[in-house]
Amino acid sequence: MATVEHAQPAPVPRTGIVAWLTTTDHKKIGILYLYSSVAFFLLGGVMALLMRAELARVGLQFVDRSLYNQLFTMHGTAMMFLFIVPFAVGLANYLLPLHIGAPDVAFPRLNAFTYWLYLLGGLTVMSGFLTVGGAAAFGWTGYAPLSTATYSPGAGPDLWIVGLLLTGVSTTLGAINFMATIFGMRAPGMTMFRLPIFLWNIIVTSALIMFTFPVLTAALAALFIDRNLGGTFFEPAAGGDAVLWQHLFWFFGHPEVYIAILPFFGIVTEIIPVFSRKPVFGYKGFVLATLLIGAYSFSVWAHHMFTTGAVSNPFFSATSMLIAVPTGIKFFNWIATMWRGNITLRSPMLFCMGFLFMFLMGGITGVFLASPPINYAVHDTYYVVAHFHYVLFGGSVFAVFAGLYFWIPKMSGRMLSEGLAKIHFVLMLIGMNLTFFPQHQLGLNGMQRRIPDYSEASGYEGLNLLSSIGAGLIALSILVFLVNFFVSMRTGKVAGDDPWGGYTLEWATSSPPPEHNFHRLPPVRSERPVYDARVKLGGRRDRG
Amino acid sequence: MPSAATLRPLGIAAFACLAGGGCAPQAVTEQGRRINGLYDIFSVTAAVIFVIVVGLITWSLLRYRSKSEEEIPAQTRDNVPLELLWFAIPQIIVVALFAITVSAQEDVGAQSSAPNVEVRVEGFQWGWRFTLESESVTVSGTSDAPPKLVLPVGRTIAFSMTSNDVNHSFYVPKFLMKRDAIPGEPNRFDVTIEEPGTYPGVCAEFCGLLHETMNFNIQAVQPAAYEAWLNEQRAGNGNG
Repeated sequence: MATVEHAQPAPVPRTGIVAWLTTTDHKKIGILYLYSSVAFFLLGGVMALLMRAELARVGLQFVDRSLYNQLFTMHGTAMMFLFIVPFAVGLANYLLPLHIGAPDVAFPRLNAFTYWLYLLGGLTVMSGFLTVGGAAAFGWTGYAPLSTATYSPGAGPDLWIVGLLLTGVSTTLGAINFMATIFGMRAPGMTMFRLPIFLWNIIVTSALIMFTFPVLTAALAALFIDRNLGGTFFEPAAGGDAVLWQHLFWFFGHPEVYIAILPFFGIVTEIIPVFSRKPVFGYKGFVLATLLIGAYSFSVWAHHMFTTGAVSNPFFSATSMLIAVPTGIKFFNWIATMWRGNITLRSPMLFCMGFLFMFLMGGITGVFLASPPINYAVHDTYYVVAHFHYVLFGGSVFAVFAGLYFWIPKMSGRMLSEGLAKIHFVLMLIGMNLTFFPQHQLGLNGMQRRIPDYSEASGYEGLNLLSSIGAGLIALSILVFLVNFFVSMRTGKVAGDDPWGGYTLEWATSSPPPEHNFHRLPPVRSERPVYDARVKLGGRRDRG
Repeated sequence: MPSAATLRPLGIAAFACLAGGGCAPQAVTEQGRRINGLYDIFSVTAAVIFVIVVGLITWSLLRYRSKSEEEIPAQTRDNVPLELLWFAIPQIIVVALFAITVSAQEDVGAQSSAPNVEVRVEGFQWGWRFTLESESVTVSGTSDAPPKLVLPVGRTIAFSMTSNDVNHSFYVPKFLMKRDAIPGEPNRFDVTIEEPGTYPGVCAEFCGLLHETMNFNIQAVQPAAYEAWLNEQRAGNGNG
């Protein structure tokens, strides 16, 4: 059997905290990313709980208006910039070299730099809470002129800008590193069309990052200049343009939504075939659909601006509806992968099914929002809040947990408890629907976003109470996950190399993998080298 | 075109609404009712797609659930005609939805060259100022005392939004309509109110500390009562 040996210099022996602080190992950096991003997820989650507590009843009970405005701003910022994208970056960091049979990423030191830059940026953003005026309080979209110094004075907004600049640069550098690794470091036999679909999603995500994050960086720099150096980019009275901010922000911001979902499509596409005991259906269809989503995503940004009266609504409506088509293709390919399969509902697969049902709902309401007349009614209401939480919580976060249950055994060498995973799943599924489904109706009835309170007469109280109870259930489900994680890391069943009957190269090495990843590689003849090796050996006994 | 009125008694529309997340309230303007109709068509389409996709996933899960882990199913990799089919069908659906969207938007977004009433809407932190220039009437109010604007039913009303500070959004839920008031950016929409009544309005675009308190009311009355209100305003504190 042909094998590929990697010659590696002996690693410098470092232990304990120093090893983590100085590491350039993609797996350790990946794990640092995952821990940090989940910490920001928990922080953002606590902010969400405070908001839901406040909204449960009429009147202001727990927080004042100023703090509430900071909470929804920082919740969105934490989830979009400090959790969901860095989580994908962390997972890709861990998996990418393993998936292509490489010992590390192309630029390991740059990789370490991007992590520490991200952490620094994240902490800078959050440090706004420690300032006298509090954190930024103009929404995660930072609309000018509200975000200019006249209307939002203080250090909190400046820390928000600078922190996001740092994480933005970090994300861009990370994307370049991923691209260089995928294009330059694939093992012999690993052609582009044998890459795991996850990596095709990472390629498109990285391309989106490279084209759009610099636009955000420029917009933030312009805002910083307006605030501190006498600029007037967004000052209409001085010849600036308030709508310009929205164009710049959403030119970044809508591809950003795909940056926050494509890697998770990738996770689901890796997991469903393994638990259906079939190859992925329509590999090239998946690749094409991913490329199409990437291409279309640059032309849909102004569907966030239908009510401004400053954009061509029919054009952006057409492109926004068109982008539903490649996503639809993916759905049918996922179903076709399961069709006539041999499906086992282990925890990763269970969360993938949650993803399919919830993301479907978010995708459908997305088409409603792409229609300008409907958008006039529901834009900036809780309908939109419900829609994007079905996409980003029902979609991305379910895939986050699918990925964690699937790959934590590889990273740690121990299995998580399936029983607790099922409790986690059921609680999160019920909690998520209880929280976000009623918000559609609230939005249709006229409840606008970003309000800490509503009147008795509005009739919003019942559905809001329901929504807040659901948020409590989600919190409970996350606690179950944390208990599962910490207990299983000590006492969980030993995973072995390949607990699930996996397909891709990470399952061909030990759990956790050695520092240089592989002692030997199986030959790569298809997108499922580990499956091929297993069938060749005639063994199916290796399932844990 | 399946109108909501014919479907609703069958309970189909109520179910269809679930696929869109909920039911849109019945609008009180001519334009809003056009949006109601569009929303209902989207809902029915969404419900059909939802049922088919959820059905296929559920069927797969029930029918192809593992009975024996040893069994290796057929390793099907692709089926190009089938993939082309499910590329084409969603494409046709969105083109159709886009076509009815454009047609609805032309009605909803139509602007009269000679509206019966012209209202200048000015949003500010935190309140509204409504000016009927041709009538020399202005009403305004802030958080503590929300302004009330009286308007005639059955007449074309043109709202023009402006702002001198930050972005606001003029939103009347019962019109199913909102438009942003952005400094330096003109914006307008026309409506014809069909039902008399009092309709609460809010600011939909986050605009700072007291955003949520930026309320107003629109009271739609018969044209004669509207004329009486105008006279009353001019006689009283007409400068608001």
